[in-house]
Amino acid sequence: MPKNDHYVIIGNGPAGNLAADTLRDSDPDARITIVSNESMTYYYRHKLTEFIKGKAREEDLTVRPYSVYKDKNIRLRLGQQVDKIDPNKKIIYLKHMETVSYTKLIIATGASPRALPSVSNFSKCLNVLSTYSDALAQIPMINKNKTFLVLGGDIISFKFIRMLKDMGKEVTTLLYSEAFWPFSLEADMAQQVKKSLSDKGVTVISDDHIKSVKKSGEAFDIVTEKGLNQSFDSVYSFLGMIPNIRFILGSGIDTDRGILVDDHLKTNFDDVYAAGDCAQIYNPDMKSYWLSIGWNNAKIQGTLAAQNLLGAHKVINPAPQKILEVEGLKINTSWWESF
Amino acid sequence: MKNTDRYKKNLIVSTGKNKTYASESVKSIIYSTDPRDFGQVKKSIPCQDACPAHTNIPGYIRCIHEKRFGRAYELNRLANILPGVLGRICSRPCELYCRHGEPDLGKPVSICSLKRSAADFKSPMHRILEGLYSPSGKKVAVIGAGPAGLGAAHELSVLGHKAVIYEAFEKPGGMLMYGIPDFRLPRNVLMLEIENILRLGVELKTGVKVGTDVSLDSLLSDYDAVVIATGCTMPNRLGAPGEDLEHVYSGVRFMEQVNNGETPYVGKNVMVIGDGFTAMDCARSAVRLGAAEVKVNIRKTEEYMPIDDQEKHEVKFEKIRFYSLVDTKRIIGEKGKVTGIEFLRTKLEYSPNPPYRNAVPIENSEFILPADSVIVAIGQQPFPGEISGKIEQNGARILTRESGFSTSITGLFATGDCASGASNVITAIANGRKCAVDVDEFLIGRKRKIHVVRLESVDNTDRDRAYDFIKRTPMNTLDFDQRVSQRSNEVEKGYNEEQAAQESKRCYLCSLKYEIDTTACIYCSACIDVAPRDCIKMIQDVSMNPDGSFGHYTETRNWNNVSAIAIDNERCIRCGQCYEVCPMDCISVTKTERIELNIEE
Repeated sequence: MPKNDHYVIIGNGPAGNLAADTLRDSDPDARITIVSNESMTYYYRHKLTEFIKGKAREEDLTVRPYSVYKDKNIRLRLGQQVDKIDPNKKIIYLKHMETVSYTKLIIATGASPRALPSVSNFSKCLNVLSTYSDALAQIPMINKNKTFLVLGGDIISFKFIRMLKDMGKEVTTLLYSEAFWPFSLEADMAQQVKKSLSDKGVTVISDDHIKSVKKSGEAFDIVTEKGLNQSFDSVYSFLGMIPNIRFILGSGIDTDRGILVDDHLKTNFDDVYAAGDCAQIYNPDMKSYWLSIGWNNAKIQGTLAAQNLLGAHKVINPAPQKILEVEGLKINTSWWESF
Repeated sequence: MKNTDRYKKNLIVSTGKNKTYASESVKSIIYSTDPRDFGQVKKSIPCQDACPAHTNIPGYIRCIHEKRFGRAYELNRLANILPGVLGRICSRPCELYCRHGEPDLGKPVSICSLKRSAADFKSPMHRILEGLYSPSGKKVAVIGAGPAGLGAAHELSVLGHKAVIYEAFEKPGGMLMYGIPDFRLPRNVLMLEIENILRLGVELKTGVKVGTDVSLDSLLSDYDAVVIATGCTMPNRLGAPGEDLEHVYSGVRFMEQVNNGETPYVGKNVMVIGDGFTAMDCARSAVRLGAAEVKVNIRKTEEYMPIDDQEKHEVKFEKIRFYSLVDTKRIIGEKGKVTGIEFLRTKLEYSPNPPYRNAVPIENSEFILPADSVIVAIGQQPFPGEISGKIEQNGARILTRESGFSTSITGLFATGDCASGASNVITAIANGRKCAVDVDEFLIGRKRKIHVVRLESVDNTDRDRAYDFIKRTPMNTLDFDQRVSQRSNEVEKGYNEEQAAQESKRCYLCSLKYEIDTTACIYCSACIDVAPRDCIKMIQDVSMNPDGSFGHYTETRNWNNVSAIAIDNERCIRCGQCYEVCPMDCISVTKTERIELNIEE
């Protein structure tokens, strides 16, 4: 491996960090750079609800403090947004007009909350909770407000609702049939979910759709299709996640819902790999594509992408027993089982 | 000077009360046929160049800014006779090339929606302008009242010929009437603009099928020329088993039924195959016919779909899902009716031709999804009809002479999709019009119109730098329940006047050409200091394009090598900062417009 290699990793989550570690272990002299649009180092995202409750401090969220990056000689660029990639010239363009050249690239940008087209007219009134900075910005508002409406259905919404109830808030949830994510719930499962939420004191509305959300003073007036008209202090939406791939569109790197990679996690460019939630992986045995969700999958894929980038020919195990079919895509659910 | 003042002043000029201004403006206009000026206009105004009809886009957007909606509409009509229609359903090739959409400059100007605003806000029954020629005594038959046929008939009529359109269907409009659903294009808008054409004396014979009710040979003997503009009406077939099962429709026939007011059976679970505008129209119509779940199945991915983002958004808003990377292997049925589709997964592979990707089916990757109905909308081709075997063809298309519209039979011309293959409405209108000019030359024996570049020196940049930061105005649309409650409800509501005015400010007015007079320039570089991007260059050399216009600028940072400071009009965003700051007033602004002139005046 030549000494002047520059490995660039976009994304500072589990996939990105495990990829960086793997590269460093095999190549002590290479330049390694992680670019992240977040301002915090590698942290546990699933502990954000504990953080909001005040049960976890910032240190408790941190997986890896800056000193570890320094010791491993991994350059960390925090708070920097990648604008676009030119895989032919091997350059990434940052939003602040800087360019970074790479010899090999791993994209591990994860996923972010999905805005369904049907709520696009009032998406400005909807809060989402996905990152540390979201949490930090929303803590005062969550503490102050009393009544919450959660447009939910995805697995994170259930955790958020539990957090609100623990904090003594009044919670109403509108279970969005099209938002069950990662997969649609069977009627009896949906009934179970509804019962379990009701038992916790949550007002559950199902078989209805939100029609409009309007800001009125400090509060938000909502109207549903079946005519419910009520005011809430704040409205949250948890309608599933979509891979963060917008900046890749048009670059020549193939995407569908995620970045299309083969079972070695390689994209259609030899020097570009993708790992974690943002990757849509082709499986030659199933002859189909699958997306994965979550921490453990991301760690495994980050490691494997780095190994293959260094010349190994390892094949990702899709763990078929945990894969479910959603909208024609197989979804690996090992993460949500442990959530 | 404020623009409204300028407009008022122009009015004064026209009543002769301000002769100084009038004579100045007359003196500074030049009509050029120099290929360098055409080259410059082509490069500098990318939207106009991308428009198949070469609509004067900066010109009409400026008129909207000045609230001269009637003038904006007429500027459109010079190139495209159906502005109200195109303002709703154009495929917007111009917006892809809008300079405002270049990296780091934001999103393209909403050119198409502004065209609609011109049509919406012109006064009702406004005066339409036509540069009519006196009657020639010649008669021309036009077969087909679609966009190409209407474009040809209109231009023929303007040129003094009697145009008679033969249309097989009951109503004119072709695909506009029978292909595009009324929730995208209200029929009163379409009919009004068709009436504008007919009032020039164009005769319309509907319900007459050439080949059945009247023969092509009789038309050729009865008329001085015949134009075939029959479009592409024959749907492409999948070539997969099961295509003839009940409840399998072709996109064209399905839309025909819907637009005739019929309600074809769709069931709850609808599968659409295809990725173009017709496929989207079918999917959205199916939602309005009561389908609960509609999937649009595409071979490649969303990125390579030939429709714009706005249309994708509307489709998804109506809860239709894109199902990518699938290829139809066969349609499955029971007792003659559709029950599902067997798909193969596909993979993207590099292809040497745009868009550089092929979808390749993966062997043994079959899987089945259920369906109550299937709509196959994978393109159309010309219907051969009576002409088959009589004239030279290129596949199913009618072969026309290179760079023209005449066919292998003298006096018979062909234009629109039946000659070019399936394209879009604006291309068909443009080709219809160009064909009419060819027919005119055939009938009269000489060219009567030429294109020139009109150059007018102006003393105002007409823009404020703050306009550059205005965000693209989103289209106002109906809520979902309003869309499905009545299937003809128009989904897009258009901009209101204020929104149109705001959006019109975003146009850079690329038709204004900025130049530095190097004989007066003192090389102070004040203009470079205020430039918003690398648009003003210290150059040592410049290459020439084959047409003689300036090509690539070779820049230098060494003052000893600087031969000029030049404004690169392909990078310039016409912010006017350099014009304001120049201490020597050596920057000039010239309005450049490609226009059509009568050669014999």
